[in-house]
Amino acid sequence: MSVTAHGVAMAYVLTTFFIMGFGYFVAVTALNRPLPGVPWAWAGFVSSIVGVVMVLITVGSGQASVLFTFYPPLTASPWFYIGLVLVVGGSWIWCILMLSAMTAWKSENPGRPVPLAMFATVSNAVMWLWTTAGVAVELVYQVIPAAFGWTQTIDVGLARTLFSWTLHAIVYFWLIPAYIAFYTMVPRAAGGRLYSDTMGRLTFILFLVYSLPVGMHHLMMDPEHGNGTKFIQVLLTAFVSVPTLLTIFTITASLEIAGRLRGGKGLFGWIGTLPWERPMVLATGLAFVMLGFGGFGGLINMGYGMNAMVHNTAWVTAHFHLIFGGSVVIMYFAIAYEIWPRLTGREHASLAPLRLQLWLWFFGMMVMTLPWHWLGLQGQWRRVANFNYADPIIAGWGPLVILSFGGGLVLLLSALLFIRNLAVLHRSVIPAVGHPLYALAVHPPQRVPAALNGFGLWNVLVLVLMLLAYGYPIAQFVITPSPSAIVHRVQ
Amino acid sequence: MAEVSEPHVLDQPWRVWATIAVMGIVLLGVLLGVLIIPIVQGQSAGIDAYTAICRALGIQAGSPARPQVVNRNPPTPVSQVVWTSDVLQILAEAKPGRGHAKVQEVCVSCHGEQGVSVSPEFPHLAGQSGAAIYKQLNDYRTGSRTHQLMTDIAKALDDQAIADVAAYYAGQSKRNPNPATLGPPPDFVTRLVELGDPNRNIPPCAACHRVGSGGPVETPILAEQREEYIVAQLKMYASGERRNDVYGRMRLIAAKLTDAEIDGLAKYYRAGFK
Repeated sequence: MSVTAHGVAMAYVLTTFFIMGFGYFVAVTALNRPLPGVPWAWAGFVSSIVGVVMVLITVGSGQASVLFTFYPPLTASPWFYIGLVLVVGGSWIWCILMLSAMTAWKSENPGRPVPLAMFATVSNAVMWLWTTAGVAVELVYQVIPAAFGWTQTIDVGLARTLFSWTLHAIVYFWLIPAYIAFYTMVPRAAGGRLYSDTMGRLTFILFLVYSLPVGMHHLMMDPEHGNGTKFIQVLLTAFVSVPTLLTIFTITASLEIAGRLRGGKGLFGWIGTLPWERPMVLATGLAFVMLGFGGFGGLINMGYGMNAMVHNTAWVTAHFHLIFGGSVVIMYFAIAYEIWPRLTGREHASLAPLRLQLWLWFFGMMVMTLPWHWLGLQGQWRRVANFNYADPIIAGWGPLVILSFGGGLVLLLSALLFIRNLAVLHRSVIPAVGHPLYALAVHPPQRVPAALNGFGLWNVLVLVLMLLAYGYPIAQFVITPSPSAIVHRVQ
Repeated sequence: MAEVSEPHVLDQPWRVWATIAVMGIVLLGVLLGVLIIPIVQGQSAGIDAYTAICRALGIQAGSPARPQVVNRNPPTPVSQVVWTSDVLQILAEAKPGRGHAKVQEVCVSCHGEQGVSVSPEFPHLAGQSGAAIYKQLNDYRTGSRTHQLMTDIAKALDDQAIADVAAYYAGQSKRNPNPATLGPPPDFVTRLVELGDPNRNIPPCAACHRVGSGGPVETPILAEQREEYIVAQLKMYASGERRNDVYGRMRLIAAKLTDAEIDGLAKYYRAGFK
C-alpha cells in the first residue's frame, strides 16, 4: 500500500500538478498575455483534485495495492483507475490551453519566434497528449472493465505493450520542466546568456520525436515481441540521448559565458566564478552531477545485452530515483524558489536555508541511490518487500541497504526543509525585486523556420514513427489473440 | 532577397531534411534489425532467411539466433483444469438452484446440505471458493486427485453440474469464525502464516490463503476448515500422495513442515481468522 501511494503520489500527482502549474506560469510570463480559458484551467484543476481524492481513498483503504504501474492482471478498485483518468483528463485540458495560448500569441505576433520557454512547454503538452493515449487505452478498454467485473480475463501482453507506449515518454514529461529551467532560467540566474536558442528548440523537438517510439526498451525481456522490433526501438532509444547531450553542451557553454563575464580565466577558471550562492545555479550544478551518473546508467539500461544483466533488479529503481528524484526534482525545487517570490511578491530573507536544502537533497539522493545501483548489480531483485539477510549469500547486502535507507532519511529531512523554506517565504516582509526571469540568447532569434516554431511537421513524423514502431506490435494482439490471464482482484 | 525571406522557401529545406533524417534512422533500424542481423544470425543457427526475418518481426515465434527448442518430453500437467475465459464463464453462469438439487441427491450425506460436514475427515464446503470446489471435483473426475469415494462421485457429474454444485456451496453462509473461543496461537504458527520461513524457503500461508491476497484462482479458503482434514491433506502433499497442486507449490511447502507445525497450522485454520 505504501509503495503504491509513494509511486502514485510522486509519479502522477506531484509531477502533473507541478507541470500544469509551471506551464500556466510560463504561458502568462513568457508570452506576456493573459491565459486563455481560465475557467477551463480551473475545471481541469478541479478534475485532477477530485481524481487525487479518489486515488487517496482507494489506496488508503487497501483497495488499490497494485503499484503505480498497475501490473495487470492485478486489478484494484475501479475508482482508483477512474481517479487517475480524472487526473490525466485535467492535464489534457492543460495541454489544450497551452496549445491555444501559443496559437493565439502566434496570430498576434506573425512571423516572430515563440519564446523558447513557451515553445518547450507546448512541446511537452503535445508529447503528453501523444503519450497518455497508450495508458488511456489500456485503462479504458482493458483494466477498468476488468476492475468492474465486466471481463474476467486480460491480455497482459497487450496491456504491457500499451503501457510501454506511455512509460518512456512520461519520464520526459517529468524531465522537460527541468530542461526548460536549464535553457531559459539558468543562464540568466548565472548572469550570462543562452549559448544557442536554436539548440534549445532542437532539443525539445528531439524529445518529442524520440521519447515516444522507444517504450519497448522496457519490454526487452518480454516474449511477445520480435527481436527486430525491439532492435528498432533500441536504436531509436539511442537517439533520445542526443537532446540530453545537446543540453549538457549548450548549458555548459552558457555557464561558461556567464563565468567569463564574471572574470573567470583559463580552461576551468570560469567554474569557480559562477554565482553558486544562487539556488538556481547551485541546483543546476548538482543536477548535472546526478544526470551524469544517472545518464550513464540509462545508457546501460538501453543496451539489450546490458539490460539483460540489470533487468528487474534494484538497479532500475535506483536509476529512475537518481534521474527523476535527483536531477529533475532538484530543478523543481529551484524553479519553485525562483517563481514563488514572483507569485507572492515576497523575497527570500536568506538564501542559506535554500542552499542547505538543495545540498541535503543532493547528498541524500547520492547516498540513497549509489549503493542501490550496486545492490542491483549484485542481483538484488526489485518489487520484493522482504529479504532474508541472515542468508549468507545475500548477507553482504544488509549494510548497503541500511546506508541507502540513511540517504532516504536525509531526503525526508530535505523535503521538510523545502516546505519550511516556502512557509518562511510566505511570512517574509521583504518585497520581491522582480528581476527578469528568462534568459536572452547570445543571438536572440529574429525569425526561425516554421519547423522550429511549431509542431505540425513533427506531429506527422511522430505519427509515422509510432505506426512503424508500434503498428504491428499492437496489431498482432488483434490478428492472433494470445491466451489471456485471469483477472486478479486486489481487495 | 525577397525570395529568400518568403517563409515557405526558408522552411522547405527544414521539412525535407528533418524528414530525411528521421526516416533515414528508422530505415537503418529496419535494415539492421529486421534484415541484416536476423539473416546473419539465422545462417549460423541454421535458420533460413525467410524464417529468420519472420521471427525478427515477431510474426513467427522464436529467436532468429537460435533454433526453436522442440520439447520431446512434454510435461504431464498435474491438473486438467485450465482457467480459460470459457471455464470462468461457466462458473459465472452456474445456477445455485440446480446445484442445490444435485447436493441433496449426492453430496449431502458427507458434506451436509449447508456444507457443514458430518465427520472430521470430510471438509466443510460452506462458503468455500467456487473455483476451488470446481477444480477439486474436476481433478477427481480426471484422476488428478483420487479418493475412494470422491473419484466415482465426480465421474458421474458433468462440467455444468460441477459448476452448479460449486456455486451452491460457495453461496452458503460465509464462514464466520468466532475468535472469542480461541486462545492466541503459538508464535511460530503466526509467523508461518504471516511471514513464512525464508530460511527454509517457505512462503507465508497468507500470501495465497488470505482472501484477496492474490494467490492462484483455485486457492481454497482455509478459515474454519476441519482440523483433521487439513492435517491429512498437508501430510499427503508432503508424501507426494496428493499431487494435483499446480507447480507442486503445496508439495514443496508441506514437505518442509514439521508435524508440530502441521498441527499448529491446522488448529489455527480450524479456528479461522478475520
